[in-house]
Amino acid sequence: MNYKIWRFGKWQFRLTTTRYVLMALVAIMVVAAIFRFVLGLGAVTNLSDEWPWGLWIGFDLLCGIALAGGGFSTALIVHVLHKEKYAPIARAALVTSLLGYIIALVSLLFDIGRWHNCWRPFFYWGYHSVLFEVFWCIALYTLVQVLEFGDIFFERVKSRPLKVFLEKAMPFLLILGIILPTLHQSSLGSLFVVAVDKLNPLWWSMIIPFFFVWSAFFLGPAMVTFEGSLAARAYGRQPETEVYQSLVKVSMWMMIVYLIVKIIDLNYRGVFSLAFNGSFESNMFLLEMIGGIIVPIIMYAIPSIRKSQQGVAVASFLVVAGVVFNRANVNFTGMAKAVGGSYFPGIWEWAITLGFWSFLVLAYCFIAENFGILPKEEHAVSHAAGAQKSIAG
Amino acid sequence: MTNHFEDYVNSDYFLIIGANPAEAHPMAMRHIGKAKAKGAKIIVVDPRFTKTAAHADIYVPLRPGTDIPFLYGLINYAIQNDLYQHEYVLNYTNASYLISPDYSFADGVFSGLEEKDGKLSYNNKSWSYQTDGEDIQKDPTLQDPQCVWQIMKKHVSRYDIKTVSNVTGTPEDTLKKAYALYCKSGKPEVSGNLIYVLGITQHSYGSQNTRATCMVQLLLGNVGLPGGGLNPQRGQSNVQGACDMGMLWNNVTGYLKVPDATKHATYEEYLKAETPKTGYWSNTPKFMTSTLKAWYGEKATKENGFCYDWLPKTEGKSHSHMDSYAGLEEGEIKGVFCWAENPSVAGPDAYHEVKALEKAEWMVCVDVFENETAAFWKRPGANPADIKTEVFLLPAAHIYEKEGTRTNSSRDVQWRWKSVEPPGQAKSDLWIADRLFKAIRKEYASGGRFTDPIMNLTWNYDKPGQDEPDLEKIAIELNGFKVEDGTVLGTFADLKDDGSTACGVWIYAGYYYIDPKETDPLLKVPATKRHGTEDKTGLAIYPKWTFAWPLNRRIVYNRCSSNPAGQPWNPKRPYIFWDGAKWVTPDVPDFGAKDAKTKEPNPPEKTAQAPFIMTADGQAHFFVPSGLISTSQMKEGPMPEHYEPVESPVKNPISKQQSNPVAKKWKGEFSKLAEVGSKDFPYVATTVHYIEHYQTGVRTRNSPYLVELMPEQFATISPSLAKQLGIKPGDDIIVSSARAEINCKANVLPIVRPLVVNGSPVEIVSLPWSWGFMGLSKGAIGNELTPFVACPNVTVPEYKAFLVNIRKA
Amino acid sequence: MPKGVLVDVSRCIGCRSCQVACKSWNDLPATPTVFSNNWDNPPSLNATNWTRVGYHLIEKGDQLKWRFVKTQCMHCEEPACESACFTHSFVKTESGAVIYKPTELNQDYCVGCRYCMIACPFSVPKFEWDKAFPFVRKCKFCYDRIKEGVEPACVSACLTGCLKFGEKEELLAEAHQRIDSNPNYIKRVYGEKEYGGTSWMYISDVPFEDLGFKTNVSEKSIPSYSWDILKWTPGIFVGWGAILTALYTYNKRRAEVHHEEEMYAPVQDEE
Repeated sequence: MNYKIWRFGKWQFRLTTTRYVLMALVAIMVVAAIFRFVLGLGAVTNLSDEWPWGLWIGFDLLCGIALAGGGFSTALIVHVLHKEKYAPIARAALVTSLLGYIIALVSLLFDIGRWHNCWRPFFYWGYHSVLFEVFWCIALYTLVQVLEFGDIFFERVKSRPLKVFLEKAMPFLLILGIILPTLHQSSLGSLFVVAVDKLNPLWWSMIIPFFFVWSAFFLGPAMVTFEGSLAARAYGRQPETEVYQSLVKVSMWMMIVYLIVKIIDLNYRGVFSLAFNGSFESNMFLLEMIGGIIVPIIMYAIPSIRKSQQGVAVASFLVVAGVVFNRANVNFTGMAKAVGGSYFPGIWEWAITLGFWSFLVLAYCFIAENFGILPKEEHAVSHAAGAQKSIAG
Repeated sequence: MTNHFEDYVNSDYFLIIGANPAEAHPMAMRHIGKAKAKGAKIIVVDPRFTKTAAHADIYVPLRPGTDIPFLYGLINYAIQNDLYQHEYVLNYTNASYLISPDYSFADGVFSGLEEKDGKLSYNNKSWSYQTDGEDIQKDPTLQDPQCVWQIMKKHVSRYDIKTVSNVTGTPEDTLKKAYALYCKSGKPEVSGNLIYVLGITQHSYGSQNTRATCMVQLLLGNVGLPGGGLNPQRGQSNVQGACDMGMLWNNVTGYLKVPDATKHATYEEYLKAETPKTGYWSNTPKFMTSTLKAWYGEKATKENGFCYDWLPKTEGKSHSHMDSYAGLEEGEIKGVFCWAENPSVAGPDAYHEVKALEKAEWMVCVDVFENETAAFWKRPGANPADIKTEVFLLPAAHIYEKEGTRTNSSRDVQWRWKSVEPPGQAKSDLWIADRLFKAIRKEYASGGRFTDPIMNLTWNYDKPGQDEPDLEKIAIELNGFKVEDGTVLGTFADLKDDGSTACGVWIYAGYYYIDPKETDPLLKVPATKRHGTEDKTGLAIYPKWTFAWPLNRRIVYNRCSSNPAGQPWNPKRPYIFWDGAKWVTPDVPDFGAKDAKTKEPNPPEKTAQAPFIMTADGQAHFFVPSGLISTSQMKEGPMPEHYEPVESPVKNPISKQQSNPVAKKWKGEFSKLAEVGSKDFPYVATTVHYIEHYQTGVRTRNSPYLVELMPEQFATISPSLAKQLGIKPGDDIIVSSARAEINCKANVLPIVRPLVVNGSPVEIVSLPWSWGFMGLSKGAIGNELTPFVACPNVTVPEYKAFLVNIRKA
Repeated sequence: MPKGVLVDVSRCIGCRSCQVACKSWNDLPATPTVFSNNWDNPPSLNATNWTRVGYHLIEKGDQLKWRFVKTQCMHCEEPACESACFTHSFVKTESGAVIYKPTELNQDYCVGCRYCMIACPFSVPKFEWDKAFPFVRKCKFCYDRIKEGVEPACVSACLTGCLKFGEKEELLAEAHQRIDSNPNYIKRVYGEKEYGGTSWMYISDVPFEDLGFKTNVSEKSIPSYSWDILKWTPGIFVGWGAILTALYTYNKRRAEVHHEEEMYAPVQDEE
């Protein structure tokens, strides 16, 4: 490949055409951000009283957090359940997750009208609000992730005492780092419990928190697979197909549970038939369930597909897309009828969102190129193979 | 109104016709609503399903301009089904009076129609009573074919339900239901309240429309008692006051006739011609003399006819708004004063009226804002350089920026206090009038033609140390006082014809009087300033709340609230009645309850003779006879008859006489009319108001809050017409008439629907007229489309029924 | 004592004095509008328009019905906005008014997250979209007037008695008395039970569903929904924490710890 490399001190960063484009997008975002903070939300977004939450909440926040779910699910699998064979992908998952959370927090800062008051919730506790739980869990979890990342960070930036401290604190951080996201992933769903007569009953449920946390969890392995496949391709490395095909079985079983619970829930509330009444909502729901749940389950269940790099990547992509679609359905499709009006993000909203995600990609690349987050190749492959054997054994 | 707003709560039935109180008189709806909550039934008759109709038990759609057929159908229904109030009709109306055998009616025309100089008019001699010397002949059995009852019965018998439905376009069963319901108010113990406004009056036969409403109420015995009456809610909050103050061209103050030089050369002749022998108008000399004393003070003496010669007089010609604009057009009038008036928006055929303004040499406008009339020279389409009129705009104080009285439809003369100072250079109207007169007098001081009336007019309203004229002095002059010592009078019964009393508006006598017997210090103030809320009757009579003319009487003709024997029609709702020895009077009696001389009570059988004291015969009129002094004679017949509006989509289905034969029409620019059944202008339009914009919108279209509520001019059409023309709600459309065309938004709502007349559907267009080219909310002037024709009696323009066309812009 | 307002839809004439009185008392600006075929401008509640009378022309065959329905904050007994706000920016006062503290009490904690707008079942709170530091705005039940013993501005402007202000319990009794004594009324007091009850209550002679009311609604308050879920949080925190700790400890002892440092390396240039 033909590219330049920035070097500054011991850090380095590749400069490819794609990355120039991404950097340009970040620059545009900065301009858009200035507009937003000077002129207010009305000037740069298509948000309205009918649609108080738009792209930044519906995608950047809800999806960003969900996609970052890979961090806590792999943490659970690797560190708590000690499925060591999956360890090679744990760090990449953590970094993605951390970046995802940072994006979510920044987009939240952009989205809230009175951002200068963003510190207030730490002092004025509206504990009867679901958002209270979301806010605290996300804030703490981001801190936890920063500390977890510190473990990686200090491999490169030598600081013996901090490294030691973090290693000591790691078990506690790991457990906290699973409890907190469990709580807030579910709470992000609970946010919509209040929309009892607004959100279409296909999505509204008293157990919507379960659906959110469960989907965030099964999304983890799929996301890791998908993103690992992309990273491997980007860096011309061998993808960890073996690890993936095994890991996604966790997702598969969880998705089967999800599907069953969903059907029971719909039946229990007597709204099952709504899924087939041909309305816009029902079609979107079916698309979400078939494309994002049923098809990937089938693909994961068929060994020949699962074990092929392409098959597992495509199926995982479907899972990722399915969850994104689900969040969009909850925030937009399901609410449309009740709130009236219409919403499509404005050009500046897109600019800011694209800027965020471009930044995420760039940051990921920088970290990947400067910190040890991707597995050492030969070691990892043999290790994975070993692990495979040990399972077989 | 014969009754008053608070009294609505006593009504059992409402017939609301040609009125939309929910938009135009919202406070009236408060009282209508109270009655409804108590079980009253409401019938709304209107071309549109209005906000008022939304609260009706029965909504009756009808074609604009067909009120008489509707009301005659009701009268006919009541007579045919014997649902009218016999005792009332026999005793309190002229039903039993015999009419001259010369009277006749055929083909929609009454006897006496003559043509003179190409103009039709009636010689009304044959419409008179049969008399034997002084005595009017009667038939108490109501059987004589020449008695009013039989003549009316025959006259209205042509208006059976089928015929009415064919004219009005109202479905027959709706008519039947409405008639049956309202005729329930014909029972003696039940009250029906007939409310109307400009939907009734603004027609080329508007006065006859109002006559028809009177006939309905008399037939059902609904006049003079609580919850009944004829209640025309005035079109503006102080229009009653304006009329009382002689703002009509044909009245001086208190509805005294304006002297006409061709009839009343001297004061003696004036009094002779205008004073009937019987009825309350027999006091005319006392009223007029006191008025002249108020105006000319010491100069007015018995010897000089109280300076009657100084009064301006007409010369047998009409000087209405429309005549004045015709005069401008013809170059007869050189200058214009538009005081709190905006004819460029309000006038009929405003398009040509404004063009006529261009011929004026000067114009003075007095208003709160620069209105469309003041700005006529820069109106869209006009070239200011071509207009030579010199325009002066005097900024006036708004009602809340000045003190004085306002008189509402209930005849309540209410004092208003100033709440804020007027902004900038704005001054009260009184201040402007005061300075104007002083300036004129200054001019005349150096001589001129006939300076006496100007130099000798009473104008002593200065108050030391005060910029504004002294309101109290003016109030006392209007109220009336004893010339010798200035004692404020409590009643017009104390007025004298010898020059010992002065009174500016005789009907206001007592409004500024302080009751010496009053003990409550809060109420020991001039009557107009009282805010007493005591109601001793439970009938919503508040005698100590301000002052209602005449004499603080709240319900007029109130002798009719009890039967001839003096017993209340409704024993549960006794009002004014005879307790066996005297009259019980919670309200001021509108009859001689006591003998003027002996002060002894007049027994019921005597007072029942003349319950309507303002007519010379003491009776209410189904048939307006000629030959009675001071009784308004109708120009187009003694009884109403259906004529089509001057612009009509159909031939008159009732008779060969298409439109009012004596309707007022003008020549030249003001003569543009669509022909009957015009193909170019196939739809019937009617002008309307919305609550957000008051009158010509001068104030409301400059109020941001109201502009926000109702931002743009529009015309309402039915979904069927919209479909036919391919018009969608909110489209820009052009509404055109034979006079002009305007651009506005299309409002498509089923509140108007086509009505089937003579077998074919007639589409109705409802057109608001509150917009103009000035103010925050600008829009086309609806009245540019209205025709320049009018009722011959009072010259009210035909705003409510004319022809238009509609097309997409 | 908690106050309330009884709205008798059958008595409204659509004069909109309430709408203007609200703006006038609260110093809200007029906003530009365009022609509305329904005549009920401005088209919706917003930050400068806290109450609005909606016009409902109902065509059933040949018959027309026209009703005018005032909408504003319902002032829930258990307000969704109050419970949804994680900075405690709403409060239900003793008089029954639900008010927004940043503007009314000068307690500026609001971050502008707009969750109140999502949570409100009546979609009442509105946002100042055009401001750099926007507030949430809505009807405040004129709590400032009520405090002084004066009825809300809209009620004082009502000509027809459509709006009646008073003690909530007494109004509720009157509402039942009215609908019981007149067969024209729909036998429902909207606001008595909806979402746990509201300070503003409606009675009508036309079915509520024809008037834009959400009728098939929960009688449970919105806060109780979220509370049903939130109450599990401490349990999940402790329980899930305990499980994870147990698993962690158990698995750690059982498994070999890998030297993770060996497994990862920065991506090197292909030089």
